Amino acid sequence: MSAGKDILVIDDDRDLVDTLRIVLESKAYAVRTAYDGQDGFRRIEEKIPDLIILDVMMATVTEGFDLACILNNRPEYRDIPIIMVTSFPKVMAETGPDTFQHILGEDWPVSIFIEKPVDPEKLLTAIEDIWKEKDET
Amino acid sequence: MTDGLHMQLGDELVKEQLFFRKELRERIRWLIRLRWIAAGSSLVASWLVYYQWRTLPVVTVDLILLFVLLYNLGFHFIWRRLQTGNPREVKPLTIFTHAQIICDFSALYPLIYFTGNLHSPLLIFLIFHVILSGMLLSPLSCFLYCFSVPAVLGGLVTLQALEILPIQPAMFHGPSWVYRLYVPVDAPDMVPFFLLFVAALFITAFLVTSLKLSLRVKGRALLQVSKALDAGNVKLRALYKMVTEMGGCVSLQPLMDVATRNAARIMGVDTCSIKLLDDQRENLIFASTFGLGEEYKKNSRGVKVAGNPIAQKIMDGTLSVIGKIGEKDYSQYPEDIRKEGIASMICLPLSVGKTVSGIFCVYSAEPGTFSEDDVKFFSLMTDLTALSMENLKRDLDKSWFLQKAAHQLRSPLNTVLSMLNLIKNRYLGPVTPKQATTLDRSVKRLQILGDVVADLLNLEIKRMDLQKVVLHPVTAASVLNPLREPYQVLAAEKHVDVAFDIDKSLPPVLADEKLVDDLFTNLIANAVKYTPVGGAVRVTLSRENSKHVRFQVRDTGIGITPDDLPCIFTEFFRSANARQFEEEGTGLGLVVVKEIMDRLKGTISVKSTLGEGTCFTCRLPIADRPSANEDN
Repeated sequence: MSAGKDILVIDDDRDLVDTLRIVLESKAYAVRTAYDGQDGFRRIEEKIPDLIILDVMMATVTEGFDLACILNNRPEYRDIPIIMVTSFPKVMAETGPDTFQHILGEDWPVSIFIEKPVDPEKLLTAIEDIWKEKDET
Repeated sequence: MTDGLHMQLGDELVKEQLFFRKELRERIRWLIRLRWIAAGSSLVASWLVYYQWRTLPVVTVDLILLFVLLYNLGFHFIWRRLQTGNPREVKPLTIFTHAQIICDFSALYPLIYFTGNLHSPLLIFLIFHVILSGMLLSPLSCFLYCFSVPAVLGGLVTLQALEILPIQPAMFHGPSWVYRLYVPVDAPDMVPFFLLFVAALFITAFLVTSLKLSLRVKGRALLQVSKALDAGNVKLRALYKMVTEMGGCVSLQPLMDVATRNAARIMGVDTCSIKLLDDQRENLIFASTFGLGEEYKKNSRGVKVAGNPIAQKIMDGTLSVIGKIGEKDYSQYPEDIRKEGIASMICLPLSVGKTVSGIFCVYSAEPGTFSEDDVKFFSLMTDLTALSMENLKRDLDKSWFLQKAAHQLRSPLNTVLSMLNLIKNRYLGPVTPKQATTLDRSVKRLQILGDVVADLLNLEIKRMDLQKVVLHPVTAASVLNPLREPYQVLAAEKHVDVAFDIDKSLPPVLADEKLVDDLFTNLIANAVKYTPVGGAVRVTLSRENSKHVRFQVRDTGIGITPDDLPCIFTEFFRSANARQFEEEGTGLGLVVVKEIMDRLKGTISVKSTLGEGTCFTCRLPIADRPSANEDN
């Protein structure tokens, strides 16, 4: 039912992007990719994706958060679910909401954090959950 | 000046008054005691004189002396009552002193009359009383008592000359000798004596009152000095507190805010600011302010150093105090400065070595507020602030480097692991069992490598936190309690029994919640990790003695060999049996534990028997009750 959904993967690590592409395409998702925040934003402007998989640390330590912040400030992009992938899920889980909530506002746009290295099964389950949640609302 | 300092000064004044009042009290007690001795010995002496010469009207004299003893008894009781009264009230004491001197004079004059008037040896007691009134009362009272002497004595002589009062025999001149009384004009021998006596009386009064005044002035000066020392002490303590507070800051902005807030308070002004040089080192930009209006900050954003001779001089350190602003065109924005109500300021460069990073200013609404001492003190404060900022910057750089390094190390590792997961999960086609095993082993080894990187990073970050942390009272039980459930769940998965025994009435320990949490977590996790299926871990938090709380983790795990025991707190050490039992582990957990215990000034000991179990015991110092001094 979710096949063909458009997923945008934004990460500066090309190897990881390719890996994720293989995993996502195995479920017949349409995968688009970008290698930095700016590039990613252009892709979003071209066509609003159904989901974004976003890396936190790219050229700058908070590039992923910065992009999430920009998207959250644009009503047309606010509703895109975001999965954040990070090497420091614990640190993010502990300090993320405190540190970034005041930038991003009350509506925390990030649906879920996923730890690197990415476990394919975990990622696919998380995506399925997001579709389910969207269908319910 | 702050309210605190005002109160300090108020207290000083009361202290000064109390100091002089104490002196008054001492003398009054002394007077009552002296009177017992004087009246008592005079009673005895009157009879001796009477037996020797028989000229003394001994009964009259003794009746007067008994009257003296009687009123002295009264004074004694009044004195005891006054002791319980308010020590700050001075009026009762003054009235009491007047009453005593008046009573003494009214007893002395008849005594003098009955013992030979101008020939009486008791005249000397009049001088004593003038001295006493000079010491204890105001100069005016002293001189009034002085005037009473020639008036009363002169009156008595006149009354005798007019034969209204009988002439008394002189004391030491035998039974038949009755002194001849001359009216002053006819008595050239008595006039000089009388005049001399009166003169001596007034000179005494003058000397005593002036001596007392000069002593008071000196006493006051002494109190001033002690007050200044106290004020200096208060300032230094406040500065110490400020430095400690700055030391606890983890980023630059809060540190500068602490600095400006405290500087304004300690220097006794309402406004203060820190301006920092921008990256091009061309403009001074407000970095932290206290009490300055938004408008002013906006207008003064970016003072160009090159175009501002004052700013340049401040940065060189050649100009520090600006006593009157507005007279000369000292600032780029004189209008704003006037609107802000700034009339004088001290500005000093924030520098470590020769590098100036910005300027630190305090502003006052009054012209010429700051003294040379203020500048010296503020200079000390500025240097300490600059040092704190520099230290923090270094720490932040190091922390940034560590994070970056860790990210660089972990990124490729994580990507490789993600790719291996891809193969393992057969996204790239079928995998033979042998390939799967090799993949599993590769994944495991890479995971261990990732853990080492993470632990190393954590260790360094924790070491930096350890230096920074400000210890405060912490209830250890409230940190340990939330750990119960997760570890019981974890242990249940491993089929290990974990029991907690927490004494809830323990006093707080001097520590930090995060450190205590790390300490507990590390030791409990370690015990669970190295205890085989069916084993037990017992965690106890109890009182060791009046100074320490004991935290103990006892397990029935694999144990440590006696040879390995001394090494367990060294970096990367893992005993052979530990490695055999559990492949994963970096040998850094106990290093953290040891460093935390060192920082908390506690001790840790370990007992272990190979194959039977291990027991770690930590002794955490109990926090002293906060004393009043620390609060100041």
